[in-house]
Amino acid sequence: MIKNPSHPKKSVRKVKQCKFTEAGLEYIDYKDIETLQRFTNDQGKILPRRVTGTSAKHQRQLTSAIKRARFLGLMPYVAENLR
Amino acid sequence: MNSYYELTYIISSVLEDEQYPAVIQRINDLITSSGGTLDEVEEWGLRKFAYEMDKKQTGFYVNLYFEGPATAIESIERTMRIDSEIMRYLTLKYDAKMKRHKELVKKNAVPEVFPIIEEDDSEDDKL
Repeated sequence: MIKNPSHPKKSVRKVKQCKFTEAGLEYIDYKDIETLQRFTNDQGKILPRRVTGTSAKHQRQLTSAIKRARFLGLMPYVAENLR
Repeated sequence: MNSYYELTYIISSVLEDEQYPAVIQRINDLITSSGGTLDEVEEWGLRKFAYEMDKKQTGFYVNLYFEGPATAIESIERTMRIDSEIMRYLTLKYDAKMKRHKELVKKNAVPEVFPIIEEDDSEDDKL
């Protein structure tokens, strides 16, 4: 059962695709907080590539954009409203 | 060799509302006097920080674009670092990609990263 790849209990792997490549974006702006926020979790942490499916090139841009936004106080380093 | 730069800085909110234009004017003059040419100055106004910064919750944001020599950056940043009214600043040198992106922003034609909002929810739920 475990080795059977077509077993219904085995979840089908969803093919993830890079949102930035799809949109054809060349530069990720640190001022575009709404987009950046979708790549962080509720704690304010940057989501890994394996979760979001972002391409390596864009993930690098994304991290620096988020870090710039954090430095300028546009995004939190740590979200304070946790429990 | 002149390059294109973007500069964002935060003016401390201890100042009165009427004092902000003077600070902005001073920074603009500083850029022009160090050999830069201002392209755009955009005031974002008073904004709340995402976290407490120097015991303050808000700051006055100014975002500007200018062209100038690399030596200008040094003197501008030095002055801003010393200036107690400027809380933070961020200077970025623009490359071809960033310039193209800025053109798109101007034309309001930035490709949407999330065209359909519902589509992405499944991914957000994982964490």
